[in-house]
Amino acid sequence: MAAAIELIGITKRFPGVVANDSVNLVVEEGEIHAICGENGAGKSTLMKILYGMIQPDEGVMRVEGQEVRFASPLDAIAAGIGMVHQHFMLADQLTVLENVILGAEPTRSGGRIDFDSAEQEFRRVAEAYGLVVDPDDLVEELEVGERQRVEIIKVLFRGARILILDEPTAVLVPHEVEELFRNMRELKEEGSTLLFIDHKLDEVLAIADTITVLRDGKTVATVKPEEVTAHDLAELMVGSDLPTPEAGESTVRDEIALEVADLTVQDEDEREVVHSVSFQVHKGEVLGIAGVEGNGQAELIEALIGITPAASGRISMDGTDITNLSVRARRELGLGYIPQDRHREGLLLPSPLWENAALGHQTKPPYAKGIWIDRKGARERTEEIVAEFDVRTPGVDTPAHALSGGNQQKLIVGREMVAEPSVLIAGHPTRGIDVGAQAAVWDDIREARRAGMATLLVSADLDELIGLSDRIVVMLRGRLVATLDPKSVTPRELGAHMTGANGGADA
Amino acid sequence: MNTSTTVWRRILLAAAAPVAAVLLALVLSSLVLLVVGSDPLDAFGRMVRHALRLETMVDILNRATPLYISGIAAAVGFRMGLFNIGVEGQYLLAAIVAAHVGALVALPAFLHIPFIVLVAMTVGAAYSGFAGVLKVTRGINEVISTIMLNAIAVSGLVAFLINRWQSGGAVTGGVGRVGTEPIPSSGRIPDLNGFVELFTREITQGKRLTGVLVIAVLAGVVFHLLINRTRFGYDLRASGINPIAAQVGGIPPKRMIVMAMIISGAFAGLVGLTEIMHIGFFPANPIQGLGFTGIAVALLGRNRAVGAALAALLFAFLDVSSGVLQFSGAPREIVVIMQGIIILAAVIAYEVARRAREREEARTAAEALEVNETEEVVA
Amino acid sequence: MKKSVRYLAGLLALAMVVAACGDEGEGPGGDDAPHVGLVFDIGGRGDQSFNDAAAAGLDKAVAELGVTKSEASPNDDGSNRAELLQLAADESDIVIAVGFLFEGDAAAVAAENPEVNFAVVDTPMINGETNEPYSDNTAGLVFAEHEGSFLVGAAAALKSETGVIGFIGGVSGMGGLIEKFEAGFVAGARAVNPDIEIVRQYITAAPDFDGFVAPDRGREIALSMYEDNGADIIYHAAGLSGSGLFDAAKEFSEASGSKVWAIGVDSDQYNTAGDEVKDYILTSMLKRVDVAVFEIIKAHIEGNFASGPQEYDLSVDGVGYATSGGFIDDITDTLDDYKAKIVSGEIEVPTTPAP
Repeated sequence: MAAAIELIGITKRFPGVVANDSVNLVVEEGEIHAICGENGAGKSTLMKILYGMIQPDEGVMRVEGQEVRFASPLDAIAAGIGMVHQHFMLADQLTVLENVILGAEPTRSGGRIDFDSAEQEFRRVAEAYGLVVDPDDLVEELEVGERQRVEIIKVLFRGARILILDEPTAVLVPHEVEELFRNMRELKEEGSTLLFIDHKLDEVLAIADTITVLRDGKTVATVKPEEVTAHDLAELMVGSDLPTPEAGESTVRDEIALEVADLTVQDEDEREVVHSVSFQVHKGEVLGIAGVEGNGQAELIEALIGITPAASGRISMDGTDITNLSVRARRELGLGYIPQDRHREGLLLPSPLWENAALGHQTKPPYAKGIWIDRKGARERTEEIVAEFDVRTPGVDTPAHALSGGNQQKLIVGREMVAEPSVLIAGHPTRGIDVGAQAAVWDDIREARRAGMATLLVSADLDELIGLSDRIVVMLRGRLVATLDPKSVTPRELGAHMTGANGGADA
Repeated sequence: MNTSTTVWRRILLAAAAPVAAVLLALVLSSLVLLVVGSDPLDAFGRMVRHALRLETMVDILNRATPLYISGIAAAVGFRMGLFNIGVEGQYLLAAIVAAHVGALVALPAFLHIPFIVLVAMTVGAAYSGFAGVLKVTRGINEVISTIMLNAIAVSGLVAFLINRWQSGGAVTGGVGRVGTEPIPSSGRIPDLNGFVELFTREITQGKRLTGVLVIAVLAGVVFHLLINRTRFGYDLRASGINPIAAQVGGIPPKRMIVMAMIISGAFAGLVGLTEIMHIGFFPANPIQGLGFTGIAVALLGRNRAVGAALAALLFAFLDVSSGVLQFSGAPREIVVIMQGIIILAAVIAYEVARRAREREEARTAAEALEVNETEEVVA
Repeated sequence: MKKSVRYLAGLLALAMVVAACGDEGEGPGGDDAPHVGLVFDIGGRGDQSFNDAAAAGLDKAVAELGVTKSEASPNDDGSNRAELLQLAADESDIVIAVGFLFEGDAAAVAAENPEVNFAVVDTPMINGETNEPYSDNTAGLVFAEHEGSFLVGAAAALKSETGVIGFIGGVSGMGGLIEKFEAGFVAGARAVNPDIEIVRQYITAAPDFDGFVAPDRGREIALSMYEDNGADIIYHAAGLSGSGLFDAAKEFSEASGSKVWAIGVDSDQYNTAGDEVKDYILTSMLKRVDVAVFEIIKAHIEGNFASGPQEYDLSVDGVGYATSGGFIDDITDTLDDYKAKIVSGEIEVPTTPAP
């Protein structure tokens, strides 16, 4: 019998990066197949190729033995493939049944929707797979787990035999995860094939029949869960060939620059996303925060710089309680910030470089003189930044959008560094920039650290974390679960802590 | 890299859009004129000849003055990414209160005029600021709230106040002249005829060049300095360009919204001065709609002080041309059509020019890089 | 920066110098036949009301008196009334402006153009400070609307079966302009039946002039008067909003099965309001703007142009009532009796509404 899905040598390039590099994958019919890998390993690209959302540059795809080429998701649906997206695509104001039939409405003569037969079919599908949800409920009233079941029914309703689930557990609470797994097993028993993406290794080991690990766009291994431990998987995901950007001798001083005590942060829906986190960063120290994205790091940063209020707990900087201070007051006290997403948080793209250099520092000389913006002072300071931090630009009046990502980042790093912050919060400071710029940013952080700056480094790049940090703490599901010494920790251990594969014991 | 050619190219790119917009509008209007059976060349010729008369210039400036201030008021909001549709209600309310209060007090001119101006600005600011407060405390979109506040102001407050403060028709007599008590002469901004006549002949036909023109010019200068030169203006622009980056950069978003609405409203308060200073009181049939035209002026003028001035003059020119067109047999609607076409053409031309400029800037920035620079990795 | 300011100032001065040299007013045409400039109220021709009536009077003058004409209407916000008057004066011997809103501008422009006569519809053109006409060349064309309204008020009282009638005003507080209609209507109705119930409502208050252009609100108010108050005849003085009254009359009649009526205003709305609703228009209070416009042009040609208010009342048929449709043929005798009493002075119609 032919495999449900067979991929041979799938390659997909984006400008400057190979997202999938000759990926091979065999998914047998009727199995639950997990795809694991770090962020940026190429999982999402692969799923999009399978579902026809993007087309591979090279390689062959077979579905149930037939070679296929998907021009769009419609082709994939026709071939029996369905996708359950991580972010649900449901219309809140419609009922469950209406959502399920949306775009595939059974019609009576005259184009009227045949709700009766739709409901019959809905009940048949739902009962066959043990998916409990009331077809007449409004989607906006459903829990997250129920919405996910609606998405699954939607896919089955369209006749899918192969289901792709994109990080299905990311949005679920533990009991919902159990329910999902129960549903997945039933689907499998009814003959469906399931392919799902996950990077929570305990979950993968609990549910999958086969696991394929992606790293740097390549398939590095296909294993059975009974043959491997979570440690093995983590190592496979992270790899072991790590070039270490040397931090050099320790410059950590005794004075505490940033102290966080029992900090709890809630998101807009008042869910706790950071739970009672405490840590200290000393002058001259780089504290690395490791963690798979979405485990509360972003919210922690937002609370530290003052965009999101702390639900409880205390933040102090150089001995001053800043918990209730505004962003501006914190910045004026010497808090520097290199944002995680420079376009979203760091730049005024249509504005000239000198105005970008002033952002966050516009209240102080040389950018300001009283109530006025000091254009001359700001330009001069920007010219210094451009020279010192090697920002390649025709001039300081060039708009920021004209610069390459690396040069934009160097400008941001430069503007924060020349302000000589006492505490720097750096979120993924080298993400998406070229190697040269990356090295420059590392050098800059190291230099400032020698001068006594305390740095909180949040990064998904393990090289960067191990190479720059004096200490690494691991964040998992909103908690700090481990403190590690970068000199002794192996990437494998780090990866295991990040994914919760070692049970959360401190190293 | 030759800096001066780059500068010239940028100036050309900046000028290309409005010029292209006006040309496009001319072509389309000509077509419309041909369709309704008028000779476009004759019509445009009459418009230009008419506009070159001194008295017509006075009309144009008188018309442009409130349009310009209204445009500035809208531009303050736009620069912050706020859509203050409420200029309409703000200026009418401000004008009636200023006219009434201005008529109540007796002060020397050097105090009386600033007093009236200040009252107008305060009322406009307060009314607009209310919409800002609603936005930050209750999350009510300013478009919705200012539309509602317009209705409340025009149909409610102003209608109520005009009845309450009516001077009983004794202003200059007749139903067409009903309004608030007249402002004593010490509170009226003198016209600029004497100043203009220093340079040219006497202005005839009883036309008076409004002294509020001076306030409009001052408003433009203040707007320009405030937006481009002050820390506050920097915060405002940054919030408009990228609210998240602005917030991360320490700019308090809520306070900026309220402040921007207050300042926008303060400018809006000045819009009605032209009329109340001209006739000396707030009439029962005030000129309405200036708030909405101001949005078009701001749009056409790209929310810049000089741009809005040119846009206001263009709109005023077209409005004033309406009469000559009609007396030469063309329909009045042609002017409205032209104004609409110019705005549409401007939006299109600006977008085309913006893309051209961005390509140009990216090209020059790329030239500044070394050729063997490692290619950027796209995440 | 400074340099550019100086440039700008220089340019402005230059432009004005050029302007000063360039033009010379063209002045009134030298032909034998007088030229008439007509400046409409906002909206221009086609409003089925004053503008159209004025245009009809002018067209009649063109046909019968051999005058030539030009026409214009203001911007939507009415900001260029003075400019239009001046432009009209440049090429005309007599300028006629439709609507009281022209009063101030006409007075000012007339003062600058003493050789041109000005006539403004719907205002006496009296300077409130001196109680004299603004100048020798300004006339006001006014109508005794209260007298006309008295007659339709009497008609309403005579025709009402429920004993309840209604009045819808467009905009209140414009110096008592619309209240004058109300006053005559109330007086006429009570002359017939002192106990009649009269429901009265205005759509908006000045300076919100939407009341003249809000048919939907007119309709709402009318429906409520028919339904809730039991009115069976409603008179409106609300401009375009009146069409809402006509729709309401038709709608309510058809829904309830008992016929209710509307009374039109200014022009004979039986002929202008549309075929669907004409059968519900009992009569209309006529304000003969066409008569007034024609007469003032004629007076101008004959050298009899007089300044100040030129009142067109019942005695000269400047106001009246319409009989189109034949719905009030049975009471025209009674109405004409009232008319005679008003003309003779036996009945004096008030201009402010009785409570």
